[in-house]
Amino acid sequence: MTLILPPGAADDIRRHAEAAYPDEGAGLLLGFVEAGDYRRVAQVVSLANRWETGARHQRYLLEPRDLMAAEDRAEIEGLTIVGIFHSHPDHPAQPSAFDLEQALPFYTYLITRVDSGTVVASRAWRLAEDRTRFDEETLELRSDPIGKS
Amino acid sequence: MSTIRIPTPLRPYTDGRKEVECPGASVTATLQELTARFPALGPHLFSGDGTLRPYVNVFVNDQDIRSLQGPATALTSDDRVMIVPSIAGGGESPALRPVDHAALRTNQAVIIGLLIAAYLVDVPVLAAAVGLLMLVGAARARPAFGWLYAWLRRARALRPDIVSDNPEPHRFAQLLGGVFLSLAGLSFAVGWSGTGWILAALVTLLAAINLFAGVCVGCAIYYWLARLHVPGFSKSPPPGVLPGRRPAA
Repeated sequence: MTLILPPGAADDIRRHAEAAYPDEGAGLLLGFVEAGDYRRVAQVVSLANRWETGARHQRYLLEPRDLMAAEDRAEIEGLTIVGIFHSHPDHPAQPSAFDLEQALPFYTYLITRVDSGTVVASRAWRLAEDRTRFDEETLELRSDPIGKS
Repeated sequence: MSTIRIPTPLRPYTDGRKEVECPGASVTATLQELTARFPALGPHLFSGDGTLRPYVNVFVNDQDIRSLQGPATALTSDDRVMIVPSIAGGGESPALRPVDHAALRTNQAVIIGLLIAAYLVDVPVLAAAVGLLMLVGAARARPAFGWLYAWLRRARALRPDIVSDNPEPHRFAQLLGGVFLSLAGLSFAVGWSGTGWILAALVTLLAAINLFAGVCVGCAIYYWLARLHVPGFSKSPPPGVLPGRRPAA
């Protein structure tokens, strides 16, 4: 399980996470699922955090309609939603109990820790088949030309 | 037959299919038919109690079923059903507060000691008095014998053991003990001393399980009530901690 994140995409995530601070920022990772369980991110879609105001510093919510629209757009461009990214303001880049409760299978969950407004680390996770835990994915920051894995 | 659109993350469970045709007169019936055909999909759509998971949204012809008749919404053969996840998550709730478990343990030890003493010297009123103090403690959101702990700390006989925890379940556990001992007191008053001592023994046992095994049964009951959405019970156990178990320091 490996997530390949090109530097441009990583920058987009960093900018969104830092702009959202002290709230959580979130969005979608569009890209390709490749042989050997590699996911290659081609595009980052930042979405609005629709969780009610007051708790957005520890919660995020992406609306079904936003997701549906993004899924349609991605398909037109030949991409798949391979994962979800969200930030943990002043909190470790690992899934919380709430993340586990809400998690969907298949998606890679990229969690970015933002300390005092600055991104410090990102880690990638995937829900285990029995829903009891997340397994960590290898995160590779590189920009191989698409299709040459 | 309605057409059901499957979102990307659930397609691995429908043989990769993006759309599945399924019979059924209502949303519930159609989804049950769908999970009967693809059993591995079930746990991701439904919780253990058979209700749709909170992140599962169902749209019928672009309308959220919550604005229709919910899962009972009727379907005709031309309807297009879309399963769309709302994606949520986030960091731990910082609602956890520092809770001094040394104070709680002192409280449990004193309760156990006094109840055993009450039984040995056959002074039921002492058991009832402990119950009363526990009720007062629960009302003040403090351990009944917190004053004794404070004194022991000043004498440097005990050190605090601060743990990030929810204080509410401990308060509820004390309330529960107080109620049991009050019932014991009433039993003694009407002459049912057997019942009274059984209730007192139960409180002693639960306090001992908490003191020696680190399992707060009253707290576990609190968390279970919270899971059943009983009003007034809102906290979840600290992440990764079983209901009632002592969180790591």
